[in-house]
Formats: sequence, structure tokens, C-alpha cells
Amino acid sequence: MPDLLRSTTVRWALGIALWSVLLALTMFAFIYWQTAAYLREELAETLRLEVRAVVADPASAVLRVDTWTAMDPHANHYGGLFGPDGALRAGNLDAMPKHLPRDGDAYRVSAVVQVAWRRLDDEIWAAALPLPDGSTVVIAHDSDEIDRVRVTTLRALGLGLVPTLALSGLGGLLLARRGRRRLAATEAALAEVMRGDLRRRLPVGNRGDEFDRLAANVNRMLDEIEHLMGEVRSVGDAVAHDLRTPLTRLRARLERSRTQARTVEEFHETIDQGLAWIDQTLAMVTAVLRLGAMEEGRRTAFAPIDLGEVAAAAVDLFEPSAEEKDVRLTLAVAAGLPAIQGDRDLCFEALSNLLDNALKFTPQGGAVSVRLTRLGGTVSLTVEDTGPGLPATERGKIFQRFYRSEIARQTQGNGLGLSLVAAIAKLHDATVSVHPAATGGCRFDLSFPVATNG
Amino acid sequence: MARVLLIEDDAETAGVVLADLRGRGHVVTWAATGPEGARAAREGAWGAIIVDRMLPGQDGLGVLQDLRRDGDRTPALVLSALGDVDERIRGLRAGGDDYLAKPFALGELAARIEALLRRPVDSRETLLRVGSLEIDLISGTGRRGTRDLALLPRELKLLAYLMRAPGQIVTRAMLFEEVWNYRFTPKSNLIDVHLGRLRRKLEAHGEPPLIQNVRGLGFTFTPDA
Repeated sequence: MPDLLRSTTVRWALGIALWSVLLALTMFAFIYWQTAAYLREELAETLRLEVRAVVADPASAVLRVDTWTAMDPHANHYGGLFGPDGALRAGNLDAMPKHLPRDGDAYRVSAVVQVAWRRLDDEIWAAALPLPDGSTVVIAHDSDEIDRVRVTTLRALGLGLVPTLALSGLGGLLLARRGRRRLAATEAALAEVMRGDLRRRLPVGNRGDEFDRLAANVNRMLDEIEHLMGEVRSVGDAVAHDLRTPLTRLRARLERSRTQARTVEEFHETIDQGLAWIDQTLAMVTAVLRLGAMEEGRRTAFAPIDLGEVAAAAVDLFEPSAEEKDVRLTLAVAAGLPAIQGDRDLCFEALSNLLDNALKFTPQGGAVSVRLTRLGGTVSLTVEDTGPGLPATERGKIFQRFYRSEIARQTQGNGLGLSLVAAIAKLHDATVSVHPAATGGCRFDLSFPVATNG
Repeated sequence: MARVLLIEDDAETAGVVLADLRGRGHVVTWAATGPEGARAAREGAWGAIIVDRMLPGQDGLGVLQDLRRDGDRTPALVLSALGDVDERIRGLRAGGDDYLAKPFALGELAARIEALLRRPVDSRETLLRVGSLEIDLISGTGRRGTRDLALLPRELKLLAYLMRAPGQIVTRAMLFEEVWNYRFTPKSNLIDVHLGRLRRKLEAHGEPPLIQNVRGLGFTFTPDA
């Protein structure tokens, strides 16, 4: 039962039942009030007319009072003609009712009446007027009829409420049962998911109602979680794999030197090589950690920055290397570029990674160009090379962690450079994309939104 | 030789750093916790302080902030964990003068500490003359002996930085940070290519070399006379 009370549907049903009862009560009260008032007014009007009729014709007062009391099949007409001394001259009232004003209006009073030769106390409605001779005429009617209306109304209310309550309760229970039946399958599926089976999905009906929409949304969420988990797993595998290679080499090298190196120089050489491998490994670990930190969206160092200045410094850094390789490195910055909101070190790093990538794949005699242009509300940073380009199938993958294209496999690198570019772009609400260049190479576009708050 | 305070909780790291800096002739004292380090920093006169970011008792940045609030301007180098994106900014905001991420090369730490100990360099000086080399940062000209050197602005900056610390090791990262003014670890060959180009200009007529390579670490400027 407490379980049942926790069910939302049951609680709703109970609420609705209570509300119906309240409505019924209000309605019955209104009907009773209206009916009783109508009956009372009707009766009062009859009594007023009758008592005035008696007074209008004092000669036949006795006859009229007797007629009033006599034309009464149900014995609820009363009347009385009392002399100036208070003695009853006609009618069936025992005595002049106390507290009854003699103004011809109808009042509810208590009186002693004679019905079928019995005397009894009763609540009556009565109107009284004095006659010219000093006597008083009273025309009355008992109040049973009006009382009966109240009793009937209350009984009707009682009889009506019980089924209303029962029906609401029953409806609520049925609704709750139905809801619980639909949820039971969902709960079972969720339990499976919570036990670790991320491939399970919630059953989705074809009604398209709230339940179905919710289940469909939860399923989409599970898809995303499963996808992310897969990504985490593959990244973990890639990290482990990429760590194992240099560590294996290092181990073998150390082991061999321990037994075979003879001179201090040979030991130094081993140690230097070992340090280089360790640095390479650490660089990868650092990159993975930085990717994680950037995905948390830390923007402590964000400030308005001038991408033109960043691009100039990066091009300056790479220029001698490009020259050594006989690659022409050019920079074109559009005039009057607005500032962007960002981390200048990270923007420098992103551009450096793109330049490093471009120079790596551009053959001797080729060219790499960096352009900064304004496109609507964005500042676009473009790095274009004359390298071999990228097959369309690889374009979507190169920003994934540890992804290395077929061509890149022969070069140095850990497959994280472009992932860092993508992470830096995301941190800056920028978009990064790769397109085939007119020259046959690659064109990378980084579009930063223009800073709005200075 | 200068006295250096090392505030670092990992005994292994501290031991290696102590041995290395002592081997280079520095007097180094070790404190293992935040409060201990803060006390030592106040009680002694130090040429430089190395403070780890994460410390038991009180965070390294907290120690530094307290010192700076009390007007202590001793040069400080903040050590932090690997891979943090914005740790450097926090370190510098807390009053650090330099920053190094763990794990670091001992040579890198030593070179940076020595650079801090040399401070303040009078960087207002615009006419630098070391041995036969002379550069004018205002006119952007350089001369070796009687020969005029055609130096690019960036080369002039590189040379100025090296000339201000003759005989000292300047690491690639330090050069990059100083000359390009970005915080980033470029591939070592990028800087080497710049230095190679600069060196060819300095030694074009067969003069003795002024810039030496320090294996795996960086460069040293050695005056020729």
C-alpha cells in the first residue's frame, strides 16, 4: 500500500476524486439553498395572501379560517381566529403563537397544534393580522416540506458521493496499474543498463506520448554514452599501445647496454637515447592530459587576443625550418581584424600544430600559406599546403585522437596534434574543418567567433 | 653562491633536485610541507624559492600568495603537475616569477633558477657589447669586430637574451618564452634552426663560435675575448 501511494497516477486519481467531492458538495449546497429559498418564498406568499384575504372580509373570517384548515389533505394547514381575549374562535391552533408579529408577513415560529384530535408542538410558518373587532387571524402551514427538501438533498448527496468516490478511486487504480505495467518494462531495461550492459535500450511504444518520448530520449542518451565509452576504451587502448612501444625499446636498450656497453661514452649514449624516448612518451601523456583538461572547458587565461599577432609569431617560428626544406611559407592578414576571446598560448599551439602538420607533408619546392580573414561574425584562420592532400574518407577522422592517416604513419608523431587543435577550437567555440585545396593539398580552416564583450 | 629554498613534499624528487643544485654550487634548503616552507621562507634570506603546487598543510600557491602579501619579493619558481592547461596562469597570478611543469629536466630547472638568481637584469640597456660582438637594440644593428651583421628583429632579440647571460645555460624553452613570448613547447629542432641561422651570420667569416650547443638542453653564449 505505501508503494501504491507513492505512485504518481494513484496520487493524481485521489486528487481528482477529492476535487469531484468538493465540487459535488458545493453544487448540492447551492441547489439546496436555491430550492429551500424558493419553497419558503412560495409558502410565505400564500400565507400573506390568505391572511390578507381573511382581513379584507371580516364577516366571513370564521368561514375562511375553517376553509383553509379544511382544504388540507395532508393535515399541514393550520389557522386560528383568536378573540381580543385570546380565546380560540375557529381553527386548529391551540393558542396564539408567541412572538408572532401581527403585520401580515410570514414568520417561522413554534406553536401547539391539534392534528387529528391530538395536540403536538410543531415548527410552523405563520402570518397574522388583527381584525377591526380586535380579534386576530392567524394563517399557518407546517415547515415539514422545507425540512424534507433538506433531508432529500442530503440523502441525494450521500448516495451520489459514494459512487463518485468509488469510481474515481477505481479509475485511479486502473490508470496506475496501466502506468506501472508500462514502466515495469522500462525499469527492467534500466536495471540491465545499470548492471553495466550499455547495449540495452528502453522499449519505445508507438503511441508517441510522453512515455515514448522520454524512453526515446533516454535511448539517445544511452547511444551517446555507449559511443563515448567506446571512444574512452579505444583511447585507453591507444595510449597503452603507444606507451608500450617506447618503453619496450627503452627496456631492451637498457638491458643490452648493461651487459655490452664498455665505455662511459657508450653508457652516456644509451642514457641520452633513453631520455629521448622517455621525453617522447611524456609528451604524449602530457598531450592526453591536456586534451582532458581542455575538454573540461577551463578558460582561466581567456582574454581578448589579436590573432594576427599570434599568426605572425607562429609563422616567424616556422619560417627558418620551412626555408631549410625549401618550402615557401607566407602569411596574409586582412586589415582591421577584430579581437577574439581566447587563450593566446593555446591559439599559438593550435596554429603551430597546423603548421607542423602542413610542413611535414609539403614536398620540397612547395608552399604553405597562412591567411587570416573576417567572415561575417567570425575570424577565419586558414592554413593551406601543396602536399598530397587527404582522401575524402579520412577527412572526418583526422581530428580523432591517435588517428594517423596512411601517409602519416611513415612520419614522426603521436596522432594527437590535430586532436589538440580540435580541442583548442572547441574550447574557443571555434569550428575546425579540413577541405581539399585548389593546389591539390589540404586546407585547414579554424573559425573563431568575434569577441562581443571587448 | 645563492641560497635556494626548495618546498617540495616528494622526498625522492627533492633529493634529486637538492643533489643537482648543490652540485652546481648552490646552497639549498629543503622544506617538505606548506607551513614548514612558509616558516623557512620568512626566517631566511633567499636568492630564490622553488615551490611545488601541491603541498601538505598549505597549497604552494597559498604559501606564495601569503609571502607576496607580506611584501616578500624573493624570485619564485612554481612547480606543477603534468598537463595542466591553466596552472601557469594561476601560478603567475599567485606571485610566481617562473613556472615549470613536472616532470622536468634537472638542467631546465637549474637554468631557470640561475636565471631567477641573476635578476634583475637591466633590460633598459639598449647597447650591448660582449667581446667582439656589439648590438644596438634601438637601431636594430649588430657588428662583430668591424663587420656589420644583417640581423632580423627576431635574431636581434635572441642574441640580446643570450648576451645578457654570458656563460649561462639558456634552455630552448626559455629562449622561446623570452623571444616569442608564448608558452608552448615547440619541437626542439625549430629553435635549433633559428640558432643555426644566427650562428652562421655570426661566424660567416670564420670567426670563433660564440654560441655553444648544450647537449639536450639549450645554448650558452661564450664571449670570445
